[in-house]
Amino acid sequence: MLTRRQTLAAAMAAPVAVPLAAPRLARAQQGQPYVVGTLFPMAGPNAEYGGVFTAGVQMALDHIAADRMLGRPVELRAQDSQGTPQGGATGMTKLASVDRANYVLVGFTGVSKAAAPIAARAKVPMVNGGGVGPDLAGLSPYFWNVIPLVNLEVRALLPWLGRSGLKKIALIYVDDPFGNAILAELRRGLPEVGASLVGTFSVPPGSQQFAAVAAKVRDAGADAVYFASYGAQQSQIIKQLRDNGVSQQLLTYSGATLASVAALPEAEGLVFTRQAADWSSDDPVTKRFVTDWRAKHGGDPGSYHQNYYNGTRLFALLAQGLEKQNRPVDGDGLRAELLRVREFAFVGGKASFDDQGCVTMPIEVNKLQGGQYVRLS
Amino acid sequence: MIAYLLNLATLATVFGILAASLNLLIGYAGIFSMAHAVFFGLGAYAGAQIAMLLVPDVLLACLAAAAVAGLLSLCLALPALRVRGEYFVVASLGLQMVAITVFSEAHAVTGGHGGLVGIPPATLFGLNIGDPGAFLLVCLAVLALVLLGIRVLMRGSFGRSLMAIRDSESAAKAFGKDVPRIKTLAVGLGCALAGVAGALFAFYMAFVNVESFTLEQSVLVMAMVIIGGTATLAGPLIGVLLLLLLPAGLSFLTFIPPTEIGAVQQFIYGLAMTLLMIFRPAGIAGLSTGRR
Repeated sequence: MLTRRQTLAAAMAAPVAVPLAAPRLARAQQGQPYVVGTLFPMAGPNAEYGGVFTAGVQMALDHIAADRMLGRPVELRAQDSQGTPQGGATGMTKLASVDRANYVLVGFTGVSKAAAPIAARAKVPMVNGGGVGPDLAGLSPYFWNVIPLVNLEVRALLPWLGRSGLKKIALIYVDDPFGNAILAELRRGLPEVGASLVGTFSVPPGSQQFAAVAAKVRDAGADAVYFASYGAQQSQIIKQLRDNGVSQQLLTYSGATLASVAALPEAEGLVFTRQAADWSSDDPVTKRFVTDWRAKHGGDPGSYHQNYYNGTRLFALLAQGLEKQNRPVDGDGLRAELLRVREFAFVGGKASFDDQGCVTMPIEVNKLQGGQYVRLS
Repeated sequence: MIAYLLNLATLATVFGILAASLNLLIGYAGIFSMAHAVFFGLGAYAGAQIAMLLVPDVLLACLAAAAVAGLLSLCLALPALRVRGEYFVVASLGLQMVAITVFSEAHAVTGGHGGLVGIPPATLFGLNIGDPGAFLLVCLAVLALVLLGIRVLMRGSFGRSLMAIRDSESAAKAFGKDVPRIKTLAVGLGCALAGVAGALFAFYMAFVNVESFTLEQSVLVMAMVIIGGTATLAGPLIGVLLLLLLPAGLSFLTFIPPTEIGAVQQFIYGLAMTLLMIFRPAGIAGLSTGRR
């Protein structure tokens, strides 16, 4: 049994002892490689996203190294955000102050909002390629989005909906800024294409049971069902809607571009939007990405792979520009270079950034057929 | 590195207050609440609203947070007076689920799932204490006051009565103890202190949303208290340091591949907790029943 004095001594020593094991690492990297940090959920129910995001980053780093784009090597430092604001704040603090990250890639809205003030204080650019809630625009001058936010995706779907003859739409949405943005966009846009919302059903973010919602959707008499969700819910919503007799056309956004969704038999025929991704394109950036991806992973890449590849590539392009001008590669320099250049050659085509650091890219409508994405418009 | 150490130390201090407040319920009163994150959240939202709508004074925010969490602790005290043991655990679980729904839906107060963004840096009597070092000092002062208060209370008549109720409610009642009043006071005090921790958390994070007050958070705080050792002053602090700093320490293991970092950390973390409970079932600083 420990005495009180021993336990108090242990309590006081622990916060200092554990992290002090690291200064050697910190010292070793000073003036060494550029550090690109990732702040993704790497364990728990959203770990699939962390793995997918990281795969895109790693391929971009392989290409940056192979092309010798930069005068210094680029090193990847991963932090597990645990998908929570607290995990995001702690992870970002470590990336900024211990790992001395030059640039951090992030996903998930709560994590982004908690980490953005820390990144802004440290002047470390944070780039989101996963969260699509419109509340992610303008979080800070150092917070950028390489994924079109979801209101733009809904706008891109509307003309196709008008042509498809699907007039009555039911919406299942997560009751958060992301889901509410889709609700508002559909309410505004559907009448313009001669369609209407015949039912709206909100679900809590963590929910995994949708049988009751499916029953209500059946009763709504809709021609199509749009679902706005993320994480492990995506597959569950599709499966449970089909299991409970909802046979109508399913619609959603780029969050469905996960291998687990594509592999789901119930997802056959799912129509979704995503940023333009013509994998047969002759554009050299896209062609190389797709060729190498297929060689390494044995299948087509998804939107998240593309986004995080682009997010990492953006760092290399900005840093390359700064190196050519003999300017330091720091937060202010990267931001100034982003606003100077504005347009970049990304996987999927040319992308341009607005003053808030939000990307604009062509968006396309796809259908899932036999596990493959088929472009509709 | 200093910023990271300050970050860890501040979070450990805030969670130290939270764990000490739960220890009051679990360790001294024998009330196993699974809803402690609710009162942490109530304090965080109250503190954040005070800071955003009135003035970002940390003292005012802490007082408001303690008042809100203390008053609403009646929601926990009422079932605590009627049921014990596993039945109370289920009742508190229900309260946790209801509160999460309220936090998610009360957009005007909590911001819903989007949360409250842009909480201004803390001040104290007009002085800016937004600097991480200054804020840590304030948090440490609050923690010291909380621990001192608990120590004084537990050594007095209130604490002895509370522990008597914990060990045998019937015997305490037979000796003339006012069990409902003492239990209600203990719950109120524990929840008010959790509210104070919540207000400090809101200032430190500058952002709060419902994801920080879920059942997982309640379970984590309970694990901190139990692993550290219940009914001791140092136990919850040791639990906090272990459960907050172990993942932080593991993140320095650079040989773990980026895609596996979370899984490996979780595995080591879980294994360490299991081994601790096998070899030190009373917690690291825990006292045997006879020495309590």
